[in-house]
Amino acid sequence: MKLLTHNLLSSHVRGVGSRGFPLRLQATEVRINPVEFNPDFVARMIPKVEWAALLEAADTVPKGPIEGYEHDEKFLRQMHHVLLEVDVLEGTLQCPESGRLFPISRGIPNMLLSDEETET
Amino acid sequence: MSDVQEATKQLLDVNLHENWRAIQVTESDPRSESEHLQVTIGATVPTGFEQTAADEVREKLGSSCKISKDRGKIYFDISVESLAQVHCLRSVDNLFVVVKEFKDYQFKETKEEVLKDFEELAGKLPWSDPLKVWKINTSFKKKKTKRKKINQNSGREKIDNGQGDKTDEKEDKKGFTNNTLDSHILDYYENPAIKEEISTLVGDDLASSKDEKDEKEETHPKVLKFRVTCNRAGEKHCFSSNEAARDFGGAVQDYFKWKADMTNFDVEVLLNIHDNEIVVGIALTEESLHRRNITHFGPTTLRSTLAYGMLRLCAPQPADIIVDPMCGTGAIPIEGATEWSNCYHIAGDNNPLAVNRAANNISSLLTKSQIKEGKVSWSLPIDAVQWDICNLPLRTGSVDIIVTDMPFGKRMGSKKRNWNLYPACLREMSRVCKPGTGRAALLTQDKKCFTKALSGLGHVWRKAHTVWVNIGGLHAAVYLLKRTPQAFVHPSEQDGERTPW
Repeated sequence: MKLLTHNLLSSHVRGVGSRGFPLRLQATEVRINPVEFNPDFVARMIPKVEWAALLEAADTVPKGPIEGYEHDEKFLRQMHHVLLEVDVLEGTLQCPESGRLFPISRGIPNMLLSDEETET
Repeated sequence: MSDVQEATKQLLDVNLHENWRAIQVTESDPRSESEHLQVTIGATVPTGFEQTAADEVREKLGSSCKISKDRGKIYFDISVESLAQVHCLRSVDNLFVVVKEFKDYQFKETKEEVLKDFEELAGKLPWSDPLKVWKINTSFKKKKTKRKKINQNSGREKIDNGQGDKTDEKEDKKGFTNNTLDSHILDYYENPAIKEEISTLVGDDLASSKDEKDEKEETHPKVLKFRVTCNRAGEKHCFSSNEAARDFGGAVQDYFKWKADMTNFDVEVLLNIHDNEIVVGIALTEESLHRRNITHFGPTTLRSTLAYGMLRLCAPQPADIIVDPMCGTGAIPIEGATEWSNCYHIAGDNNPLAVNRAANNISSLLTKSQIKEGKVSWSLPIDAVQWDICNLPLRTGSVDIIVTDMPFGKRMGSKKRNWNLYPACLREMSRVCKPGTGRAALLTQDKKCFTKALSGLGHVWRKAHTVWVNIGGLHAAVYLLKRTPQAFVHPSEQDGERTPW
């Protein structure tokens, strides 16, 4: 699971709504997978990223997008690395509101809920 | 870079005029300016997506297309130099070079006369240029250092060890044929009810002659092996495709002195008859391109060409987030990550088998890239998640594009389930899809159920376009929906009002 995916995932346990984001990430196994750097892609993705969630998930992230980030290659490369190249293979995602744990196994988060847990 | 692109790079460094003698044609081929040869290429595409394919051709080759009345075919002109790029088209299943087109062929009254005409036709067609193209095309495949292995058994993976691609190709072809016979995996083909597709062997012998060592082809002229495939559609014909292929093929054999071989052929001559339109062509692809991305199949795997068409309908923009919430084996996100690598793709499914298969297919893709690049293994902007379509664990309004193949109710799920599933799906998809700019391309056969489900959601989804397609004999539709600007409102926030279905 890449950190960009984590940034989009939200808990959907019944009653939780928008308080289900962001999921708390605990990674026990991580791999770095190089991805071809595309500065245009990264620059356009920055506004879509929920920064607070990203800060929680990864330590090596600047506090926020800096002024003129679109042309700052160093910044873009750093963001590229964090969003796309860090792959969580094993770990858990925890709903911040309900505490429910979702496992990540072989890089795939399992977000399925039991029938009782889902909203009707 | 795909295999073919790599081969092209090498080929363009090579003299195009090699080995004309291998082809026995009545006219001698001068070593002329074949580089400037203009030819007409025909391509088969998923029915309903002819326009999408034509758009891709215009975008990548700069040529305009003629869309045939014979469904699922488009034609365009290129110069021979562009042949390699033609193989890179993602919306086409098969390619052929046109020998001759008859827009309004006059069939005689009786079967005997019609078939006699076909026999005489063989000797009158302008074969030489198309055969040059075929020759160039064949030399691409030989120059490939790694044969592209899209096989259903991953155990059949073979790397060329320098013994000659032809040997590998033969075994692959055999492997491919065996696999298609042995496997119970259904493929999505045209409805054969009105079209017959029968290939007929001409001559006595069926057995493929393995004695002919193809490595010798470089130095000695070799007798080419061929077969004729006839597709016939139309109600007024007094002959069958079988008969046409047999008699036309017989004449072709006499004319070229080629050897007929149904399974191990070099040249596949195509005789496409659609009412009064006849196109004679020579195939440029041996196996359909549409299985290219998937090595691990599931029961309802979608053709890559169809996946490409659906994605293209949504006009992906750079950095768009593209989700397939019912991904099965991942055909759509994988095609997406390959062709639109400047977007981010997520493959999701509730079935653990499906998600695992999708993840395996993604890994296979990475391995292919690895071999080609010959260096570091590049990962792709694609991820897999296990989730429930009716309760997507995604932030509201975070997705730009949704593309998916919805359960048909015939091979997966059931019609009754669709009745409950479709409204819930469409609602949840409208929640995660970005208001105003978001869009969705949804494939379904259960058009009635879909339309009903959609009718209750006019405040969030607007139907922009419908493409009628034919999936394995089932008449299906791809609905292109646009997300309205209206923000999604959770039913619990609606003061007791229930959203009507």
